Amino acid sequence: MLRLAITACAGVALVLAEEFTFTIGSPVASQDFHFKAATFVFRTQGCADPAKSQISGTAEGLVNGARRSVALKVVAGSKPGVYAVYQSWPAEGQWVVNLKGTCANASAGAIVPVGPKGFIRESSKFFPRPATDAEIGTSLTALAKGEGK
Amino acid sequence: MFTRHVSRRLAAFIDGELPPPKARQAEVHLGRCALCQADREQIRFGMEILEHLPSVGAPEAIWASIEAACRESPSRKPPAAHRWRLAFAATLVLTLVGAAYWRVAHPFGVRWEVVRLAGSPAVDAKHIRGVGRIGAGEWIETDSVSRASVKVGQIGSVEIAPNTRVRVVTARAGEHRLALERGEIRARIYAPPRLFFVDIRSGTAVDLGCEYVLNTDEDGSGLLRVTKGWVSFQWKGRESLVPAGASCQTRALLGPGIPYFDDASETLKQALEHFSFEEGQSDALSIILGESRVRDTLTLWHLLSRAEVTDRERVYDRIAVLAPVPAGVSREQALKLDPETLRLWKEELAWTW
Repeated sequence: MLRLAITACAGVALVLAEEFTFTIGSPVASQDFHFKAATFVFRTQGCADPAKSQISGTAEGLVNGARRSVALKVVAGSKPGVYAVYQSWPAEGQWVVNLKGTCANASAGAIVPVGPKGFIRESSKFFPRPATDAEIGTSLTALAKGEGK
Repeated sequence: MFTRHVSRRLAAFIDGELPPPKARQAEVHLGRCALCQADREQIRFGMEILEHLPSVGAPEAIWASIEAACRESPSRKPPAAHRWRLAFAATLVLTLVGAAYWRVAHPFGVRWEVVRLAGSPAVDAKHIRGVGRIGAGEWIETDSVSRASVKVGQIGSVEIAPNTRVRVVTARAGEHRLALERGEIRARIYAPPRLFFVDIRSGTAVDLGCEYVLNTDEDGSGLLRVTKGWVSFQWKGRESLVPAGASCQTRALLGPGIPYFDDASETLKQALEHFSFEEGQSDALSIILGESRVRDTLTLWHLLSRAEVTDRERVYDRIAVLAPVPAGVSREQALKLDPETLRLWKEELAWTW
């Protein structure tokens, strides 16, 4: 009984120790055929109860030199903690997806640039907090310069 | 030149059971003998129909009759009433089999819409102008300037490229199946997985919720290129899982090879072709392992179960270097090709694909 309790505590400690974060992937990663037309999918990790995590996001753009912000279409998948992002922003200009999430007291953020061929994994950035406006601006400028395409 | 017809060996040839030299002989002969080609078509169609026959339970009355007949002494001539009963049972069985065949061959008269996109595509040799219909057992054929689009029931559409010949095998709600003899099709399917199938001579593309292009020549060599979702490419118990952005070659008598991402290096693709379809696997494997990026763990994951047992550890180690091995995947179980371990690992690796 004691051994069981120790194992359970160790398990809980392990989950708590793992940092709450996002992982992004192509729609096939979700193993959910409904998502095949998504721009990309993402999942939360390090959250003991993914169903209770709060997820939100915006699409942040640079169109003709002006910053724009568009509400994001995020759809929860059949597996807990898995979500799909669909394009809800215009085709012109440069755009990044700004993801924010909280799980209990932990928070996470991600900036995912999206180019003409889809999301750009290599230029994506992940934070243990919401991304700042300056970080979003830097990613947009880099995308406009063609970096990471 | 005198050549023997191969009609008697066709069933074994289609099943891939002929030894390679005999299979090649049959293939060469089929290439120039219209008689044997026609026989092959009939046999393949019959085989496909049989594969898809629903199993129908015989009524209890039949078994009672048969058991009663068996209990009778064999030396004694059965009375007339028994003979009638047996005859009735046999007739009933034949009727049921006939009805099942009819149901498969003519599934409630469902016919899919065919739209001419260019030139003059033909359904069962009749050219269509504008919109036509195609049902189970019928062929659609395009020449070098024709294209057509087939609406696949309620689940999607298939575009037929020029120089293509394809037959509707099954057209019912639970199964939509085409047989592509040659040419190219582009499928866009919106339905849940495993409702749409395309047979070619060296494999079956099983839709797992996807969009893809599939081409084949008459001997069965071809290429599957997936643009959205997943396709399971199957042949004789072997499966290649092909996600969006990846392709998979297939060869006559060998079936689908190992899938690869289209943006993989040309060196990797060439080595993979050697590995899948030619001799000298060990040299090719070294090149594949050396050329693999994180994303190419798609290829490596398939290699685990296709490589020789002695090479399996090298493949495992390379995947482990490229992507962290997730909890629940042990080296021992992976090298034993434990299905649950491989599934878990694939689902984790897919986040890098």
